[in-house]
Amino acid sequence: MTYQSPFGLLLAIGMIIGGLIAAPAVAQNGPLRIEITEGVIEPLPFAVPDFVPENGAAGEFAQNIARVIASDLAGTGLFREIPASAHIGRVTSFDAPVAYADWKAINSQALVTGAVSASGDRIVVKFRLFDVFSGQQMGEGLQFAGTTQSWRRMAHKVADAVYSRITGEGGYFDSRVVFVSESGPKNERAKRLAVMDYDGANVQFLTDSRSIVLAPRFSPTGGRILYTSYQSGFPKIYLMDVASVQAQALGDQPGTMTFAPRFAPDGRTVVFSLEQGGNSDLYTVDTSGGGLSRLTNAPSIETAPDYSPDGSQIVFESDRSGTQQIYVMSAGGGEPRRISNGPGRYSTPVWSPRGDLIAFTKQHQGRFHIGVMRVDGSEERLLTASFLDEGPTWSPNGRVIMFTRETAGASGQSSLYSVDITGRNLRPVGSNGAASDPSWSPLLP
Amino acid sequence: MEKGVLYSGIGHVGLILWMFIGGFFIRHNDNAEIAVTEVSLVSRAEFEAILAASPTAPAPEAPQTDISTPTPPTPEVEPPAPTPAVEQPTVTPQPPARPEPEPVPEASPDVVETAPAPVPQAPDEPAPSAPLVVDEPPVVAPTISARPRPKPAARVAPVPTEAPAPDAQTDVAAAPAVTPEAAPEAQVVEEVKPETAPEEAGTELATEANKAEPLAPSASARPKSRPARRAETALAETQDAPATTDATQAAIDAAVAAASGATATEVSAPATAPSGPPMTAGEKDGLRVAVQACWNVGSLSSEALLVTVTVSVELGQDGKPDAGSMKMTEYEGGSDGAARQAYEAARRAVIRCGANGFKLPPEKYDQWHSLELVFNPERMRIK
Repeated sequence: MTYQSPFGLLLAIGMIIGGLIAAPAVAQNGPLRIEITEGVIEPLPFAVPDFVPENGAAGEFAQNIARVIASDLAGTGLFREIPASAHIGRVTSFDAPVAYADWKAINSQALVTGAVSASGDRIVVKFRLFDVFSGQQMGEGLQFAGTTQSWRRMAHKVADAVYSRITGEGGYFDSRVVFVSESGPKNERAKRLAVMDYDGANVQFLTDSRSIVLAPRFSPTGGRILYTSYQSGFPKIYLMDVASVQAQALGDQPGTMTFAPRFAPDGRTVVFSLEQGGNSDLYTVDTSGGGLSRLTNAPSIETAPDYSPDGSQIVFESDRSGTQQIYVMSAGGGEPRRISNGPGRYSTPVWSPRGDLIAFTKQHQGRFHIGVMRVDGSEERLLTASFLDEGPTWSPNGRVIMFTRETAGASGQSSLYSVDITGRNLRPVGSNGAASDPSWSPLLP
Repeated sequence: MEKGVLYSGIGHVGLILWMFIGGFFIRHNDNAEIAVTEVSLVSRAEFEAILAASPTAPAPEAPQTDISTPTPPTPEVEPPAPTPAVEQPTVTPQPPARPEPEPVPEASPDVVETAPAPVPQAPDEPAPSAPLVVDEPPVVAPTISARPRPKPAARVAPVPTEAPAPDAQTDVAAAPAVTPEAAPEAQVVEEVKPETAPEEAGTELATEANKAEPLAPSASARPKSRPARRAETALAETQDAPATTDATQAAIDAAVAAASGATATEVSAPATAPSGPPMTAGEKDGLRVAVQACWNVGSLSSEALLVTVTVSVELGQDGKPDAGSMKMTEYEGGSDGAARQAYEAARRAVIRCGANGFKLPPEKYDQWHSLELVFNPERMRIK
């Protein structure tokens, strides 16, 4: 044995002494220790028996609210409802003890019980959530009060609470989506702005069909909408107040075309594309219309900008490399950094509300994909594949992506789809007809 | 000064100097080949069993094993007290009437937290028969393939499962159909029940994007790691060995299994372990597979999937977990809230799959009555 220096010898002596000291610790008694490194990924079975009507007027609401809650949870793909026909136990009173054995027998791992009372145009909804196999209530009971017209929102709020308690992340059910409702043939299609609940219910129109509208975007609080309209004959950005349905042009610059607007997280600034003389660059403007500021100055086309959740960066698409690719730069401008490096073309990047992923549209080998990648461009995952998928928008919790899917052919039609960020649970979103360009609102207050 | 003292002093001083500066006179060969000695762990009981079974039988070649490092006992940590979600009461006035077209935002419902009324507990009586039954999951042998290829499926599990027969009910465990005609000569009358099979599962989430190109690794759970090559060789050599008695073969198999099991990560108490024979690697694997079959991480948040939780639980002699004894002793990798979600998923796994009692050797109860389960979701994260 040779030692390079005295430190080597001292180290060896220390290790021997340390080993002698540690030896008794290894030999001490303890429980059998097993490491579980592989589980299963499958929907969690749950049961939502009809809520208990606490008076006669609440009967209809009690059943409908339970159905909406079950639909919300099952629609995530993370949960699987056990139908009422398989239920053994019956919940006849909100405060009755839970017969866990009945729910265990049908393998229900979560149980939602609730009650509804109605008085005039007001209803009160209360619920409890139980972990069946643990025989415990999960969290405290909650109750929501509102008008009878808002019963669906109260059901969504219950579902959000259940979802949050089981998964540990926020829900997204009590939210809305603004989109472009389409009608008519492909070469003469009428387009109107419309809003609906996240699940396609309660569709309401915001504009008429006299002018083409594109790319609506909710403000961070959901109270305003940015969109592009051809009302003047050229694409211009408009800002609409949702409550009053009043819209006005934003930062009108004569001789230019403005499009692809997006709110900054603070809601006071808008980033958008401005085309002048055949060249498009990114600009920002205050929502009051002043303070126009140029962010990029390149002969290429820069468009589809979106802020990071903290407002410090902007992701956008550019063809400065010869094909459409995704770049990230500081919110104040500066040298952009390309983050898309795979084959094909990348467009319409959207930053996740969590800040960890960027969703995008990818065109490769004649097919379109919706995908996600890390903000540095790594770990790209394609979630969908079809003739035409584009325009992703994130759910408020960053778990689900909604996008536009268009079918091929002269009679091809656009419709809205949603998919989980794992690529599972691809499903159409009901919107009462052809639709495109969805933008998800934040959770409603 | 005496000569002896002088010589002794010179000798000690020289020795001390050599210890400190001797290294500078010795050439250090950085490229010297490192001697590697393969070792394996065979418990005393297993070694004696081998000797007792066949004193003349040739000892099998010791397979190469990964020696797992004993994990020091973790301090017991009380789980964080659950914090009830605080809902902020909000009131939004009804919007005024507007001309068409216009949105009609609904009134924002008030959100009021109820008084946490205690819920009476119902006696947990045995359940009547039901179409869906939680059964003991099968102990599935790890599959080995030259090129692990993820199988896309809607359900992801460590071991892919083929689609069940159309008539088969979905169950945790596979079971053949039992009919009155199936065993006319049998003395034991079995209850009539339909064929069951595990739900179809793959190792990769089936997405639309990877259906067109099945080989595109856009999202996959990691395939199981291959066993150590030397272990396979040792097993083959063992099988090719001259004929021995059944007892000898069983003893050798037990020794090989124990050595191969070192690739697993469990650490049991050595030396001063409770009385009785130790748990074999196969028995530990059986317990692990039983628990992981019910460990469903599909509904966990991304943050909760970053948390490794350690759960302690006491088992009864019938192998059933005592839910009251279960607690999270340690967690790492996430917030308190994420750890709570991860713990609840782990708790559900133990209780669900232990509902009928884990299949454990009764004579080794002292070994397994107290369990420490480490739920590490690293391999279950979406890549």
